[in-house]
Amino acid sequence: MVMKNPKLARVAQGARLEFVPLQVLVPVVATLIALGIGLLIIAATGASVLEAIEAFWDGMAGSDFNIGASINRAISLALVGLGFIFASRANLTNVGGEGQIAMGGMFATAAALHGAGGLPLGLAFIVPLAVGTVAGAVWGGLAGFLKAARGTNEVISTLLLSFIALPLVYWSVESFHLLRKPISDVSSLPESAEIPDTTKLPLLFPDNGSPLHIGLLIAAIAVVVVWLVLKHSTLGLRLRAVGLNTTASRRAGMRTSFYVILAMTVSGGLGGLGGAIMILGQQFYLTSDFSSGYGFDGLVVGLLSRGSAVGVVIGALLFGFLRSGSINMEISAHVPSAVVLICQGLIVIVIAGSAILTNRKVTR
Amino acid sequence: MALLELSGLTKRFGAFIALDDISLLIERGEVHCLLGENGAGKSTLCNLVFGVHRPDGGTMTLGGEPFDPRGPAEALQRGVVMVHQHFSLVPTMSVAENLMLGRASAVLKPQDIMVRMEQLAAEYGLEIDPEARIDELSVGERQRVEIIKCLLGDPQLLVLDEPTAVLQPDEIDALLAICRQVALRGKSVILVTHKLGEISRVADRTTVLRQGRIIETVAMDGADIRSLVRSMVGRDVQSAGSVLAAAVDVEGKTPAKPSDAAGPVSPGEAVLQISDLVYRDPHGVPRLDGLSLTVGTGEIVGIAGVEGNGQTELGLILAGLASPSAGAIVVGGTPVAGCTPQEITDAGVGIVPEDRHAVACIRELSVAENLFLGAIGKFSRFGLLDKSARRKAAEAMMRDFDVRASSPDVSMASLSGGNQQKAVLARELSLDPLVFLLAAQPTRGLDVGAIEAVYNRIRAARDDGLGVLLISSELEELMAVSDRIAVIYRGKLVGELAAGSFSREAIGAMMSGHAHV
Repeated sequence: MVMKNPKLARVAQGARLEFVPLQVLVPVVATLIALGIGLLIIAATGASVLEAIEAFWDGMAGSDFNIGASINRAISLALVGLGFIFASRANLTNVGGEGQIAMGGMFATAAALHGAGGLPLGLAFIVPLAVGTVAGAVWGGLAGFLKAARGTNEVISTLLLSFIALPLVYWSVESFHLLRKPISDVSSLPESAEIPDTTKLPLLFPDNGSPLHIGLLIAAIAVVVVWLVLKHSTLGLRLRAVGLNTTASRRAGMRTSFYVILAMTVSGGLGGLGGAIMILGQQFYLTSDFSSGYGFDGLVVGLLSRGSAVGVVIGALLFGFLRSGSINMEISAHVPSAVVLICQGLIVIVIAGSAILTNRKVTR
Repeated sequence: MALLELSGLTKRFGAFIALDDISLLIERGEVHCLLGENGAGKSTLCNLVFGVHRPDGGTMTLGGEPFDPRGPAEALQRGVVMVHQHFSLVPTMSVAENLMLGRASAVLKPQDIMVRMEQLAAEYGLEIDPEARIDELSVGERQRVEIIKCLLGDPQLLVLDEPTAVLQPDEIDALLAICRQVALRGKSVILVTHKLGEISRVADRTTVLRQGRIIETVAMDGADIRSLVRSMVGRDVQSAGSVLAAAVDVEGKTPAKPSDAAGPVSPGEAVLQISDLVYRDPHGVPRLDGLSLTVGTGEIVGIAGVEGNGQTELGLILAGLASPSAGAIVVGGTPVAGCTPQEITDAGVGIVPEDRHAVACIRELSVAENLFLGAIGKFSRFGLLDKSARRKAAEAMMRDFDVRASSPDVSMASLSGGNQQKAVLARELSLDPLVFLLAAQPTRGLDVGAIEAVYNRIRAARDDGLGVLLISSELEELMAVSDRIAVIYRGKLVGELAAGSFSREAIGAMMSGHAHV
């Protein structure tokens, strides 16, 4: 009876025989191709390819410090990526990770600077983390509310909310009555004062100089929780149902608006948490462009993961290490870090493009 | 010489053999019907002829020359055109603009299209306003646009894939007349259907397909309809009389006697009471205009009417997907007008919605997930799904309701329409409490066997004391199943017939607004 539908019989078979290995193979090959092209570009700039590779490797994983820094970067990317797949489970596309990071970082800084520093029992950093999460959640939830109430496309609203959030951060570090630190000499930049030591995230290995902080544990917990919720919970199934067919879900008694708002709120909250961790874990003071591109990298991580929490982890680590390597490559081998950005773009295009190829192969 | 010759055509999808060694001649100037249940291979055969798929074996010749289209474009070039089940029209553009799509060279020549449209209108009676926007047209009119699009290029072979499944009775008549006209002009028509009534009216010859093979090809003069059904289903359909007549729409059969329904005919107390229901659409047009209706326990009330007279809106309101502008609905003492779907379910209302794909189920989810779509929390511990418990419950339910799928975990989309509908019925009839069932167009697009099963389920529900409201555009279906038929016209009930006094003529007159009861 099932096999009477030829299209599905075909897809089922394709899924079993071809799709799974391809799904693993494609990103790996895509990354290699993109890196290869990157090397060609480096050669074209006239820099020494060997030197560049060495600097790149050193920056990624040359020391405990560099490995820690790379993983720290991956943590925020992973949180934004998790937020993306959470929303996409409900068929919502949250492209506002950048704005949610910005709001999370800004409010976490404010909480750390004004009041949280004196709190006992780790609350000194837990409270700013929570505040940042809530700030991101509100920013994401706003888009969810607009979608549920007015049908506003969430791609547009999250993007435009980012365009509001980024200048808000700029404003806050420009204004003395907000977060800008008092001018002590002529070289004082428009940035916040450094947050108190008590509000900084504790390091995992304080003895070996690695900057790796407990954000890793937070992210690990988030990965497990998101995986459980999306794959095995009633909430995940409801989100999926609402995303696939709103009318049928409504008929089945689900409050569809609630789930749309919830999905965007959680998604934004994860972004906000990522932003808070960036400030409390590594940067320690707020600058106008502290989120520089993390939101969009996180979005790409979420896209490439195809909805899998494990995929988010892999993608976040890849991008985190690439970013660290590229920064070092620019500093010590004088290769523009733009080359790595180009590689990242190539990876995305190759993976996205080959996904079309693999899908066509399956459905033909 | 035959126009199209298929010899030994075979098509496989993976391990599944969709068509097995098909050899067939399509003569010039004939209407050739393909008859078969869902999944018999009718659509696949059409898609091979139109170049959508390519055969794995066998050959085709068209007009004596080899024919192996690598895509629809090549088929079109050779004069083979096809109207698919799902239309390919741009809803926001006008009829004329749609007709120009795909055949316009760099310069658009609207006048040429107009001239050609006038010719076609004169030749085939295909009249339509060229300026009308597609989304303002009825389904039948849209199909007419598709057919005009096909005939613009003066084709040799017209392939129609289940064209009547979406049409009103009068539209069906018009379509069949067009098919005859096309054939009269020496072109050939391949018409896919599973309604026997249509075949006896239009076909020159009929080929019956079952499980990818040709069972027989018969000339229609003097063919026995009953033997065609047997070839199509592969067995004698049990309650042949009424169910068969309704399912396959055989003209001239006497309408079902209520004794066929064999249930408690004396209804009990009212379980559904609708009074003065008014619904205005967003444009302020009244779609329901003071409709009042009572359904008692143990009674099936049918709603007859030409589509678009408020049946859809009535279904949506009863399902909680639309709020009435005025009026009251009471189910078993609970007022439910304007309530949420959940509140309506809690009041004991089961709904088989008109639109199976958009409302009744979520095709991408598994059968088990669909069976418990309204009770996701039922199989969970601490918010986590207990999938094995759910699978067990789903298996039991699938057994009880004869939902055929290899496992509860396969996607709903992989089921045939009949099994999807059985799953929907299983879910709705398993609700607790349950006092009333709305079945809106419950057999649309289903094959004979599944229709029989759906009727039996509805009757069994009635016999268990449920009140059932059956909304259908198939008169035969209503007459076969209902204990009472009410006729809806322009958002109001204009008449009612009790079991035993059903007559096509009386109902038909009321449906078209000539109510005299």
